[in-house]
Amino acid sequence: MAAADSPSAALRRRDLCSRGIRLAGKMRADVVDLLDAYVEQQGLDASASVAAVEGVPLAAVERWDEQTGTQRLLENLAAYRAFRALLAQMLEEQREQLGEADAGLGRALAAVLLQVSAFTYHLEELLRLESRGIPGEEEDGPPAPPRLSLFEQKLRGLGVLRELAQWAVRSVRDLRQLAKPSPAPGAAPGLAESP
Amino acid sequence: DSHIQYERVGADVTMKCGSMDWDAAVTWTANGTDIDESHLNGSYLILKNVDLSQSGQYSCYEGSSWHLKYQTYLRVGTPPKEPVLMCRSNNYPKGFYCSWHLPTPTYIPNSFNISVIHGTKDMVCEKDAVPKNRCHIRLLQLFSTVKYKVTLTVTNALGKNFTTLTFDEFAIVKPDPPESVVAKPVPNNPRRLEVSWQNPSSWPDPESFPLKFFLRYRPLILDQWQHVELSDGTSHTITDAYAGKEYIIQVAAKDTDIGTWSDWSVAVHATPWTEEPKHLTTEAQITETTSASTSSFMAPPTTKICDKGAVVGS
Amino acid sequence: LGDPQNLKCVTHNLHKMLCTWNVSSRGRRGQAEFCYTANDLTPQVCFKTKEGRVEIPVPESSITVTIKSSGTAFATKAFVIHQKDISFVPVAPHILSLTPEFPTSTLHLKWSDSGSVFPYGLDALWQIQILRKNAMEVVTQVTYYSKLTQEDVILSWNWTSDVPLECTSHYVKIRCYINATQFVGPKDWSDWSPAEVIPGKDTEPGESGVFPLDRVVAVGSDLTFCCIHEEDQRINMTYGSKSYAMMQLSSRSHAIRVLNASVSSSSGTNVVCRLEDGLEGSVVFVGYAPDVPQNLSCETSNFLTVKCTWKPGRPSGLYADRKTKYSLFERTSGKNVSCEVNEMSKDRVCDFPVLPDQKTYDFVLGVSNPIGQAQSSLLVDITQRVRPKTPEMLTVIGNNSTSIQLRWHINGSFTWIRLLCQIEISGGHSERKLHNVSMPGGKSSTYTAQLNALHPYTKYQFRVRCSAADHFWRWSDWSRGVEQTTSEAP
Repeated sequence: MAAADSPSAALRRRDLCSRGIRLAGKMRADVVDLLDAYVEQQGLDASASVAAVEGVPLAAVERWDEQTGTQRLLENLAAYRAFRALLAQMLEEQREQLGEADAGLGRALAAVLLQVSAFTYHLEELLRLESRGIPGEEEDGPPAPPRLSLFEQKLRGLGVLRELAQWAVRSVRDLRQLAKPSPAPGAAPGLAESP
Repeated sequence: DSHIQYERVGADVTMKCGSMDWDAAVTWTANGTDIDESHLNGSYLILKNVDLSQSGQYSCYEGSSWHLKYQTYLRVGTPPKEPVLMCRSNNYPKGFYCSWHLPTPTYIPNSFNISVIHGTKDMVCEKDAVPKNRCHIRLLQLFSTVKYKVTLTVTNALGKNFTTLTFDEFAIVKPDPPESVVAKPVPNNPRRLEVSWQNPSSWPDPESFPLKFFLRYRPLILDQWQHVELSDGTSHTITDAYAGKEYIIQVAAKDTDIGTWSDWSVAVHATPWTEEPKHLTTEAQITETTSASTSSFMAPPTTKICDKGAVVGS
Repeated sequence: LGDPQNLKCVTHNLHKMLCTWNVSSRGRRGQAEFCYTANDLTPQVCFKTKEGRVEIPVPESSITVTIKSSGTAFATKAFVIHQKDISFVPVAPHILSLTPEFPTSTLHLKWSDSGSVFPYGLDALWQIQILRKNAMEVVTQVTYYSKLTQEDVILSWNWTSDVPLECTSHYVKIRCYINATQFVGPKDWSDWSPAEVIPGKDTEPGESGVFPLDRVVAVGSDLTFCCIHEEDQRINMTYGSKSYAMMQLSSRSHAIRVLNASVSSSSGTNVVCRLEDGLEGSVVFVGYAPDVPQNLSCETSNFLTVKCTWKPGRPSGLYADRKTKYSLFERTSGKNVSCEVNEMSKDRVCDFPVLPDQKTYDFVLGVSNPIGQAQSSLLVDITQRVRPKTPEMLTVIGNNSTSIQLRWHINGSFTWIRLLCQIEISGGHSERKLHNVSMPGGKSSTYTAQLNALHPYTKYQFRVRCSAADHFWRWSDWSRGVEQTTSEAP
């Protein structure tokens, strides 16, 4: 069980959580805008169902309300690290496939990548605050994606952005849970009570 | 043998008198009334281009012995049109419900079957006792990008139809309107109105899934609404009300992060505080002032009182 | 034993012929003695056979044949076979190879004309059939002509399919007809060769997808895309945002036909197949071949680099990997330079290094993209295409009451030419004056000029620009201005 919160740590955590909520909220808004621009730019159908894309962390979770604070942070951290690599690769593909044709999309993609990186760092901050070790990143980064056709690349990009938009919502909810004062016994544990 | 026979509006119907021969002498009745010979072809009853009014009990009796040889209950109706289906989550994240109706009546019994698929998983849609045409699904997974596919099939004796909805979890989240909306004048502030409300009782966990609100208000004398969006809290003070004008106020709610706005709450009315007029003799004035000071806390007479002492929207 | 009858002879190669006969219905076929002779002078040749067929040389004109069927009772029958009774049916051709080229949907067919089989040069006709749907539907049949040369020559023929080869299996059969004019007997087409097949993706278990994948095609093309799917699966196909009626190619392949395709967006046009359990798709880039570069012009500003510019003409509509690539080739030196060009910017620029001791350049600007290519040429003497860089560091180095000495610097080596510089003089109560001065070009050096007949104690502004003196091409930009007041009169 984590050491009881000192007032300053609790304040610091609540501050980090509320800033994280704002960062995640802004990121979500930008991802939704980017998603709209991406769908239009790539000529995709916004309502298309996209099968789960290999290597893209799924935001979907069961019994979400029973997760511990540490579980929430660790799952978030792993996801955003993966998104950081996925977005960097999308940016590379976008330059390869579109070059100068749509610099706007490239800039929007780069902006979201920046926010994902910032949010990743923010999660690491929260874990450090809980004197939790920060899990190391996979040395050589995620495995190189399989060689995809252009349409598969487009769908993959759609899948990445959709999952990221859902993750941003989940992160906001997670951080709200973490920002709650120490819960009454038996209730879903916030951060302070993570094992 | 008596049974139910379903036929489409406009159909031509031929009824045989049980096992009687074509040339046998028979009598046909509709709901007990003899049917004119012109409708007969031998012992067969011919009904052309039937309409709803021709639904009823048809009986055939052997000519001489009046022995009942055949009886059927004719029900004239239509095959079902594509049903109208709507799914919504007003108790997120617990689950969502789907409700349906037929765009036009069929005049004959229909049966409804609903299937809910999430990715590859079949989900159970538990029928609500009331209303009949509704069922609800428990959300097992949150934050999923896999779409839900709901297919409603309606069948009756004359045909079958279906409709399919495909949606994302986050797209159908729509809270019920805020409840207990109260609007009160603010003493000594002729341009203020204090509005408060509560989260809809159907919203299970406002702390983890906070709602934000949209307030709209206008003086009855104007058509143009004024709006203000409130990201937290369940009260607001209107500070720019026209002095002395009765206002109509409504509130809507939305999950802070996903989904769409609720319908508007029940409208409440209120009029900002107004100074009592000073024109009587000193003694009267004193009495007047005393009573004025108490009345100012009552809703001004011009206000429609739904509830004693304040105006409440439930 | 029955009498020999229905003697027929067929030749496949004009050398030998195969004669067959049968015995009358009553009899059984036993051993027979087959004898033939061309004429009274040549000895009869006989041999025994049970087959009811023998191979013997094709006669010049006719031969006499006697068939004696042995057994309990002898039956002998004589026949006279004239060349006109012998039919000539070549052997079915043999396909050597059938190679698919998927990117271009082209089939490459090779076969041997078996010319060595025939005694002399002959005209040959080849009918080639392309089939689909389990070789049941003839897509096209062409006739190909060749001349046999008593040697086995490998013939080849290419065919580009309107349906991508991945979409369904393609079968090829071939037969031939030899127009042996000296042979008087009836002539006929050979049998069809066995069909060679290029299997489509719809024969591969578990395969699904839209084909062709990620093509680049010209605007106005008629395109065919197919969706490979599982059997009995309901599908629909869209091109861009439009649905198309589908043609069935097989139980696992449906296709759409898009006519007169219009230019696609920068990310290409999506061809999507909606299956019951998901999406498959491909992207096609529809664009233009590059226009012939217009107004190709080259100049040098420093005799270090030649800068060529041109107008690209109609945008190709293709970007990134598929964008138009530019290269500048100089014929005299054989040097080639590829140019880095931003497709979005209006003007196109390419730099070519000035080569030692070479003034004349025979440029070929080559432009190409996956759809086509074009080029423009320009022969230019760079000494006649000088536009110096902007003069820099214009300073006053000498000054008295009526004259001023100016100095400036120009980057670049102009030793091959004389420079003409123009000094603009403003101020001095008079209108702006231009003073021209020419001097030998230097190697990245400094130049000076003396201005006389100035008014004493008067403030003047000067700026300078330069160009080639002998073959004027274009002025440089004006230098920054410098201000100076002449000293007072002594």
